[in-house]
Amino acid sequence: MADDTSRTLTLSDPGEALRRAGVVYADYQSAKPVDPRVVEAMLPYLTEKFGNAASLHGVGDVATAALEEARGRVAAFFGAEPREIVFTGGATEASNLALAGYALRNRRKGDHVILSEAEHISVLNIGKYLEKQGFRVTRVPIDLHGRVSTRKLRARITDETILVSVQWASSEIGTLQPIAEIAELLDGTGIALHSDAVAAEGLVPIDTGVVPVSLLTLSSNDIYGPRGLGALYVRKGVQVAPVLLGGGQERGLRSGSEDLASIVGFAAAADIMAAGMPAEVDRIRAIRDRLIERVLAEIPDSHLNGHPEQRAPNNAHFRFDAVEGEAMVLSLRDEGIAASTGSACSSKTLEPSHTLISCGLLHEEAHGSLEFTFGRWSRMEDVDRIMEALPGVIARLRALSPLYKTSAPAAP
Amino acid sequence: MKSTQYSEKTLEHFRNPRNVGTLEGEDVAVGRVGNPVCGDMMDIYIRVGDDDSIRDIKFQTFGCGSAVATSSMITELVRGMKLDEALKVSRGDVADALDGLPPIKMHCSNLAADALHEAIKNWRAGVGPEDAKKQPGGAACHPIPAEVAEVEIENLDAYEGKGLYKRLDDLAELADERVVVLDTGDAAAQLAMDLTDHTGRVVLMTSGKEPSVSPAVRSALRLSDVKVLAEAQPLELLGEGELERIRVHDLNEDEEYELTADAFVVLE
Repeated sequence: MADDTSRTLTLSDPGEALRRAGVVYADYQSAKPVDPRVVEAMLPYLTEKFGNAASLHGVGDVATAALEEARGRVAAFFGAEPREIVFTGGATEASNLALAGYALRNRRKGDHVILSEAEHISVLNIGKYLEKQGFRVTRVPIDLHGRVSTRKLRARITDETILVSVQWASSEIGTLQPIAEIAELLDGTGIALHSDAVAAEGLVPIDTGVVPVSLLTLSSNDIYGPRGLGALYVRKGVQVAPVLLGGGQERGLRSGSEDLASIVGFAAAADIMAAGMPAEVDRIRAIRDRLIERVLAEIPDSHLNGHPEQRAPNNAHFRFDAVEGEAMVLSLRDEGIAASTGSACSSKTLEPSHTLISCGLLHEEAHGSLEFTFGRWSRMEDVDRIMEALPGVIARLRALSPLYKTSAPAAP
Repeated sequence: MKSTQYSEKTLEHFRNPRNVGTLEGEDVAVGRVGNPVCGDMMDIYIRVGDDDSIRDIKFQTFGCGSAVATSSMITELVRGMKLDEALKVSRGDVADALDGLPPIKMHCSNLAADALHEAIKNWRAGVGPEDAKKQPGGAACHPIPAEVAEVEIENLDAYEGKGLYKRLDDLAELADERVVVLDTGDAAAQLAMDLTDHTGRVVLMTSGKEPSVSPAVRSALRLSDVKVLAEAQPLELLGEGELERIRVHDLNEDEEYELTADAFVVLE
């Protein structure tokens, strides 16, 4: 049959696609486009080299080779050995394997786990699960910038402590945690250190060869790989019990036939990031810094949340007096700008961001938060567009608000 | 359903709210509900005619998309109504008029109806706008004394030297700390203002609507970086070996929460 079933795939450049849609995307922390180069690397593994690595035939062998080669490249990006990378179905799953998997496996050593108050809600919820399983879970507080104090952490360690979990950076306010310091504190104590690194990937160097963490939660999408794939770094010598049971893939730690195409994508994303990270970080940081500069200068009663210097280079998290977060995000949506908020009204539980409250903000301040995160396809023009809209959005909402003290008459 | 899956009507009222503003005069009353702690606050002003009808109505709202939309919609619904008629307007009516609200947002429509009812109640009780806004408002109404109440705080003395200060000689000691100062009069408020030279986070906690300070200090406070936390009463100090949190009673909503703090100043 002369039927030609091959297709030519045209992949849009994500930046172009956003511009055509008239959207300024500043919510990279929620979701990132997959880099078109990553998609190209993945495609053959969907339609041609689609085999199961467990199969004993030639098609399976091609898959095995691709799987292990990809594992090596992902491991290298994080300074790890291939054997130390376990692929999972996303970062949350990796955190489950890290926290529940480690605690349940090492219960005979103790039953005390310490989490920071700045952890992502997924980690805190796994902590609640561990409490139901009989573990004692303590939270170590953060300072006004959201940073964990090693002094306060040390004071909470007991003979029963087996695991400490502190994020590498806050996905919300961007503050970088003193992971190296904490790793040093725990070195030789037998206490494992887990770090949720998703908000730091591709933004600051993460090298397990340099910083002796025991467990790292990693996400593919955070370095512009496909979403729905993650990895848990498990340091040689650290034991975890699996949370997903089945046929025993990933050395028994994560059953289920591997998502080979996505894993190849993760590796391609790691290679691209390794080649371009310093330049990309500088570029993103400049865009982010410009937004912070302009907001604080041009919008009255605006404040930056999180540490002014020790922060992820992509994150600009603000609060504005007397306005509410969801209202800001909706208004910005109407202007074609995508941003996010930690206000109570916007959450599923109607509780404001626990991180902001733990920083010491009053509830009303936490409600007025607005987060912008930049990434690979962000441009300096995005800041211009945001600043064309934001002052007006804030002014309109303040004119509506009974809390903003102004002598100007309310809008008609 | 996502909390912001709003109908077109709701979005329209959010983008172009009707009747925004305030009213003044002998024939005006206001109803205030909610508070910034819970993230929703609404003021509804009514001008009442001799025939007991709502001749004019305005609102101001701090809150999310549905908070703005429900308050806008209710002003549109009751304009011109007699007060008794207006009292019958329910949250269901407001939500229906907006073509429905996401379930998690229904409480906003409740707030709008409550604010209107509060305005009518104040009108009938002869309470003017300035007084209405001074009193604790809305559904959670507590008579609180104008003077600062005697505070019985658990563990107060246990934290002396560990975050609790009854006097402060060297303000620099509190650099970069989150300081809460209890409203005990002008001296406390002045100390709070002085502390802003050393730390970016100073909260002045008062059980009243406003701190009990002299007018001059009040003006200075408004211009300062001190954050006033009103209608809040400290209940207990908490922390591992040093002050880390203060359990607070929100007098307006009658709810408790924990306020993160490194230092608590209660001047004798």
